[in-house]
Amino acid sequence: MHPEIAAATRDPAVLSARSDAILAIRGLSVSYPVYGTEAVRAIRELDLSIARGEILGLVGESGSGKTTLARAIMGLLARPGRIDAGSVTFDGRDLRAMPEDALRAIRGKDIAMVIPNPRGELDPLVTVGRQIATVARAHLDIARDKSDELALEMLKAVQIPDPKRRFNAYPHELSGGMAQRVVMAMSLVCSPKFIISDDATSGLDVTVQAQILDLLRNLVRSHQTAMMFITRDIGITAHFCDRVAVIYAGEIVELAPTVRFFENPMHPYSVMLLAAFAHNPRLREKWHKPLASQIRAGTTGCPYAPRCVHVEDQCRGTRPALLELEPGHFVRCLVPVVRPT
Amino acid sequence: MRILRYVGKRLIFIVPQLFGIILVSFLLVKMIPGDPAVLMLGPFATEEQLAKLRAEMGIEGTVLDQFWIYLKNLVQGDLGTSWQTTQPVLLDLFQRFPATLELITISLFLALAIGIPLGVAAAYFKRSMVKKFSDYYGLLAGALPDFWLGLVLIFFFYTLLGWAPAPLGRLDIAIIPPTPHTNFLIIDSLIEGNWQALWSALGRLILPVVTLGLINAGPILKMTQSTMERMLESDFIRYADTCGLPRSVVIRRALRNSLPSIVTIVSVLYGFLIGGAVLVEIVFSWGGAGQYAVQGVLNADINPVLGFVLFSAIFSLVIYLIVDLIYFAIDPRIRS
Repeated sequence: MHPEIAAATRDPAVLSARSDAILAIRGLSVSYPVYGTEAVRAIRELDLSIARGEILGLVGESGSGKTTLARAIMGLLARPGRIDAGSVTFDGRDLRAMPEDALRAIRGKDIAMVIPNPRGELDPLVTVGRQIATVARAHLDIARDKSDELALEMLKAVQIPDPKRRFNAYPHELSGGMAQRVVMAMSLVCSPKFIISDDATSGLDVTVQAQILDLLRNLVRSHQTAMMFITRDIGITAHFCDRVAVIYAGEIVELAPTVRFFENPMHPYSVMLLAAFAHNPRLREKWHKPLASQIRAGTTGCPYAPRCVHVEDQCRGTRPALLELEPGHFVRCLVPVVRPT
Repeated sequence: MRILRYVGKRLIFIVPQLFGIILVSFLLVKMIPGDPAVLMLGPFATEEQLAKLRAEMGIEGTVLDQFWIYLKNLVQGDLGTSWQTTQPVLLDLFQRFPATLELITISLFLALAIGIPLGVAAAYFKRSMVKKFSDYYGLLAGALPDFWLGLVLIFFFYTLLGWAPAPLGRLDIAIIPPTPHTNFLIIDSLIEGNWQALWSALGRLILPVVTLGLINAGPILKMTQSTMERMLESDFIRYADTCGLPRSVVIRRALRNSLPSIVTIVSVLYGFLIGGAVLVEIVFSWGGAGQYAVQGVLNADINPVLGFVLFSAIFSLVIYLIVDLIYFAIDPRIRS
């Protein structure tokens, strides 16, 4: 065993103890009940905290629980999903204890969300300017002309060409990139403290994606907004995020400052993910082994064990804890990958 | 401009559409056995008398000859004469069509007033009593025959309770009817300020309107509910929730996006009810257009039937045109 592991502290509280956390998730479990059998476990005892102004990248494959986590934070889980345990504290307030109407007042104002497929996210029958203004008016208690002004300002801020004319455009008259900018304007119009970007640029082509990401980062930085940046593209996180969290089967398997993560990935899954993007065909093939099945409630052991190239007997029976193997670098693995120095 | 061009195009197409409808219905009506000349003159008429009458009525020669005669008269605004009422069909229809229109228009408003709120509520509150209630209501409205419901209502509210007026036409016999300007009793009595007639007409409308309204709220409810459910699941409504928009705004947006489907079902019902309300008309002795047409069919009285078909066709085409204009107004995607 590597000496570092022996010295590791096993204290999940470290994750959320930072006093400047805007969002703190403690022991969150989410499951989707299935008729007649065990529920599917989507999120398992997840701890995570995000500091004010921090951009956290959340990376994982399809079905790993990224979107479920985002929706659970917002209190908008798709049916029949339900939160089994845990707490979500936002800015010192327990979101789970809040009634629906209070949550509605927070959504869009303090916590905003940017979603992919932007044209589908906009009401086809309402002009985009009006949609932005409606969000502003719902939360900011301002007059109509003031909210229109604000909406126009936002259209300018997201660098939509000819914003005055676009204000009166309908969603179907916009390109995908422009619609994405409108969605960003909608989510930023109330200057939220925290933004969740759920794979927001996945549908766009690469150059537009780069523009949008640049814009998003600048806006977030200039407003001191914290962000959870969900993506399947681990490459984006390298340029974009302060910290990277890798999620697998509803568990965070690795969490580290971006530089440390890319210099020294320790979880076998993270290594595989990076290898996949490094175009190593041999590793890609291994990584491509499909997710065996949905993880049912009551499953013990490491969920990654069936696909892991480092798997040992102990992995199947013991659930590894999330350990801090170096300062700020957490890994959930019994046999972490250690690079020879 | 775009709209005007569109309407113009539609109006041009109305003529061939009407021609097709008349042709088909003419041929179908001709297949009904029975010779009106014999029916009119009775068993003791001579062969010459019959032939003379047939020539007058334009029902001699081949079917195509007869059709040609009918068309020629039609172009001059002559829909022929009904041998039952011995009046020009056009005149008959101008009296009866408004009766039916008045009935089904008000009924549809009632159906909308029931169906839309109930459908919206059932779609929004998925696990509520409202949803259960609307499910049963939809089932019941689909299963119950309208004339039966009409009879039950008459039994309770006229026979037993005596709250409703007698199911004998549109107006109390003892009341002097207003001068027929439009033949819509409500409008005519309003024009004249004949409050007695207005009151009586409204009273007589209640039971048949409730009958048709309750039954036809079913399809409107179902359509509203299913479209609303789909809209509430749609990405943009979920995003509206994500943006924390108030419930009222979210529901309004979903409803607005559901409107095209609702407008469609209403237009179909409207066109259908012109003839489809006939059983209710009979139950309430309404003397409407549907009743007139059925009498025509039963008595080999061809002209009223064809006139009715023509009127309904024009009415339906106009309704569909209006519906298209409503789509234009609702959906910017169609406008551009």
